[in-house]
Amino acid sequence: MILKLAIRNIFGNGWRSLVNILILSIVLIGMVWMNGVLEGWERTARRQMQDWEFGAGHYEHTAFDKYDSFTWDKSFAEIPAEVQSLVEEGKAVPILISAGVIYPQGRLTPITIKGIPHDQSILEIPTKYLRVEDSAGIILPAVIGKHMARSTHLNEGDILTMRWKDIHGAYNAYDILIAKIMAAPVPTVDYSQVWVDFSQLNKAKALQNSATQIILKDRSGFTSIVKDFRYISIDESMENIDAMIDVKRLSGYMIFALLLFLAMIAIFDTQILAIFKRRREIGTLIALGMTKRQIVKLFTVEGCLYTLFAIFASSILGMPLFIYFGVSGYKVPQEMSNLSVAGTAEPIMCYYSPTMLAYTVILVMLATAIASWLPTYRIARMKATDALLGKV
Amino acid sequence: MKEPLVKIRDLSKLYPTGGGGFLALSELDLDIPAGAFMALVGPSGSGKTTLLNIIGTLDSQTGGEIEVLGHKVDTLDARQSAALRAEKIGFIFQSYNLLPVYNVYENVELPLLLLKMDKAERHEAVMQALKWVGITDKMKSRPNQLSGGEGQRVSIARAMVKRPKLVLADEPTANLDTENSVNILDTMLQINEETGTTFIFATHDQKVIDYMKRVVTLIDGKKAKDDLKTGN
Repeated sequence: MILKLAIRNIFGNGWRSLVNILILSIVLIGMVWMNGVLEGWERTARRQMQDWEFGAGHYEHTAFDKYDSFTWDKSFAEIPAEVQSLVEEGKAVPILISAGVIYPQGRLTPITIKGIPHDQSILEIPTKYLRVEDSAGIILPAVIGKHMARSTHLNEGDILTMRWKDIHGAYNAYDILIAKIMAAPVPTVDYSQVWVDFSQLNKAKALQNSATQIILKDRSGFTSIVKDFRYISIDESMENIDAMIDVKRLSGYMIFALLLFLAMIAIFDTQILAIFKRRREIGTLIALGMTKRQIVKLFTVEGCLYTLFAIFASSILGMPLFIYFGVSGYKVPQEMSNLSVAGTAEPIMCYYSPTMLAYTVILVMLATAIASWLPTYRIARMKATDALLGKV
Repeated sequence: MKEPLVKIRDLSKLYPTGGGGFLALSELDLDIPAGAFMALVGPSGSGKTTLLNIIGTLDSQTGGEIEVLGHKVDTLDARQSAALRAEKIGFIFQSYNLLPVYNVYENVELPLLLLKMDKAERHEAVMQALKWVGITDKMKSRPNQLSGGEGQRVSIARAMVKRPKLVLADEPTANLDTENSVNILDTMLQINEETGTTFIFATHDQKVIDYMKRVVTLIDGKKAKDDLKTGN
């Protein structure tokens, strides 16, 4: 009965109801879209990081600290036997990491040298360009990313000097040939990175079959204990990205909290106004046999119904937008795609997960329920005889 | 002897004000039998509306006793008095108090929704009530599309649709012209005679008083006269 009366009241309220529903719809569409972008970003970043850097998870030398290049001279070990078989089967790829220096245009530039087998197929790094055709040659093919190329003014075909320190502390140098400039969407395989062949780097470092990281193709290659290495899941690798997305989400929420607040003010105001304007109606409903509690419920249900209608309106009004950004993607602004964050180099395909849709709707519904219920305390204080006369 | 529909004994109502309070009703005794068609008359401030509100369980007394349809009004809680109003008491107001966002049909249907009556029964009862007051052709209209007389007819239909035992009408003709007033009164008298529903009016309109079978005059909250008329 309450629901039926509430629906009648909303339809009977005409354009006032429509304005409330529209404002709520805009907030809902905005929130869903923003969350869709962030979820899409997270998914894109995860996929790209899996494809380009971490596979399905990876082992990392226990001494390795990616933020401390001083640890890198100690962060390697011979590939353990239990993982070697995976490498041979093509289910894992080793990477050796070393600090180094290059001299583009004669200027000293510190770099990270990464050795990866030229015949691997687990990561998207175009390693086929790393094959050394002439083993007697002294020029080592290298692959760099386009950001690295831009910052060092290097082009494909350029030859320059690269220095590093071997395990005995002796400095050595090679000439490297920029064999390929790759368009890697993951900045952490691009910025300040020079990729060379795994066995060539081992040889140059006076090592044998040693690695800093071992990337797994899939979880089937996971072995819990590997000597000198610890396992890092893709979720752990994603922690920094996730934290950044959370910060973005938070700042987005602040904007939408403000919008939601405005929408709630609109509903609160409508309810207050309705209680003031409809006091004679409230008195009449009491005279007809409704209790004050039922009338409070009626007003609260009316307010909550705005959200339901807004959800319906949002799904119609927002659908073209959601589909467009879900299919064509959201092109990240240039300034942002230059940040060293995965997932921003290509359009982000918005993703609307049922969980995200559910919590967005629940959040708006809760806020609406509170905004609708709060003003009804006036009804509880109202005297029926005064209400009938139009007094509050 | 049959119990009266409304039994009032030594009833008083004191409204608190700055200067010690305003006594709206005082030492009032009154019995109203079932089937009555009567008016409470008197000048403004004489306590007519206050008494009507107390009979309608919208207000409560500050002294004395009142029994309505076998229920002591001051012992009913909010839910019980709401149920009593929903089932057995109909109200007709001076300014009709129709819900502006509902059409005529929906306004008349409202009391039946509160009684949780099923749809088919509701429809039948609403149509019957609209026929009684002769307004079936306006059932899709909104209250703001009705004349004063039509609005009050809808109000009567809404009061009568649940077949109450008691109808309380507060100045029902105050906003109507003579022709409409007479039509409305004819309709209510006809319903009273056909259904035996008790009608209590609060009025100072002579046209209304002329229609009444009994007129109780209140002055300063006290019963000044109780005239039982014959020949209507």
